[in-house]
Amino acid sequence: MNALPWAVSAWLLAIGLYGMVTSRHFIHLIGCLSVVQAATYVLLLAAGFKWDAIAPIFYSFAPGTPAVDPVVQALVLTDIVVGATVTALLLALALELHKRRGTLDADDLRPLTRERKG
Amino acid sequence: MNAEARSLIFLLACAGLVPAVVVLILHLPKFGAHALPYGDLINNSAPRERHVANAVSAVNFDYRAIDTLGEEFLLLGAVTGTVVLLRSKRGERADAPAGQVEGRPLRPRSDAVSGVTRLLAPVTALFGVNVALHGMTTPGGGFQGGVIIASAMVMVFLGEGYRSWRKSAPSVAFDATEGAGAALYALCGCASLLVGLPFLTNLLPLGTLRDVFSGGLMLIENAGVTLAVAGGFTVLFGEFLEETRVDCRSDDS
Repeated sequence: MNALPWAVSAWLLAIGLYGMVTSRHFIHLIGCLSVVQAATYVLLLAAGFKWDAIAPIFYSFAPGTPAVDPVVQALVLTDIVVGATVTALLLALALELHKRRGTLDADDLRPLTRERKG
Repeated sequence: MNAEARSLIFLLACAGLVPAVVVLILHLPKFGAHALPYGDLINNSAPRERHVANAVSAVNFDYRAIDTLGEEFLLLGAVTGTVVLLRSKRGERADAPAGQVEGRPLRPRSDAVSGVTRLLAPVTALFGVNVALHGMTTPGGGFQGGVIIASAMVMVFLGEGYRSWRKSAPSVAFDATEGAGAALYALCGCASLLVGLPFLTNLLPLGTLRDVFSGGLMLIENAGVTLAVAGGFTVLFGEFLEETRVDCRSDDS
């Protein structure tokens, strides 16, 4: 149980990287990048977790009640928003690439050698 | 490099890294039972010094506000990049309807979809504003509220169709919202420079703990983030939707 959150995070990183390495399609690759990013969420939230503690919001609990780490939660929050917009930027790049070259397979996109016109 | 070579290099790297990761995992501090000095410090000081119940918001908008400023401009940069990429080839014409697939007839929307989204879109937008406003007291804030408001805009498209959506939600309005939000956040930081205090100093009265209007300058920063996120995500949705316009695919466009 002690090692489980860290192992889940490492597993997400590994499986995402595996997907990126074997990817034959840029949309699939962007999806794998999101999986890799999910590993950071699990790692950060696990690092800030504390047993028998409340969420770091002192509205219905008095200030001073043991609470989990708010710093990593703020990091994950910005991580998710930035991740979503960067994914959109990458998808826009993939869309433009498909319009220009007619493919999304990295192996078909050798620079200079196999340029397709139109 | 072909696929086999890539897989081989990946496997070699794994063979080296996996034992290291296993050793590392076994030596990490006990899950949920180690000291959190920085977190505890903020949990103790946020309600007392900043009069803010939500410590996560206090980190985002006060203790580490400069990070959120950077993140705000990262968001602005990513959205601008997407818009420039997609719009540069397409132009800003909006006469052909979007949301179509070639060779598939465009069916009229069912009354059920229109009815449900007409009911839900305003409620969702209101809920987004509520979540954004209560960022200092309950789980929520500009990021979450902004995304909910943007999803209400998507519902307007679902219920009313492309033409009405473009008419009621012109993309220039959301471009401006996105930029204005980021600018508002940056100006919040500059306000304290005018009186000779460090960038992003919380100048305004802090209010009382558990009050919606607590946190001083954090409220205005929160509003800036709400505008930027709601505008940014609506612009992104709009740009990808415009890509499905029929005239985008024809060769003479």
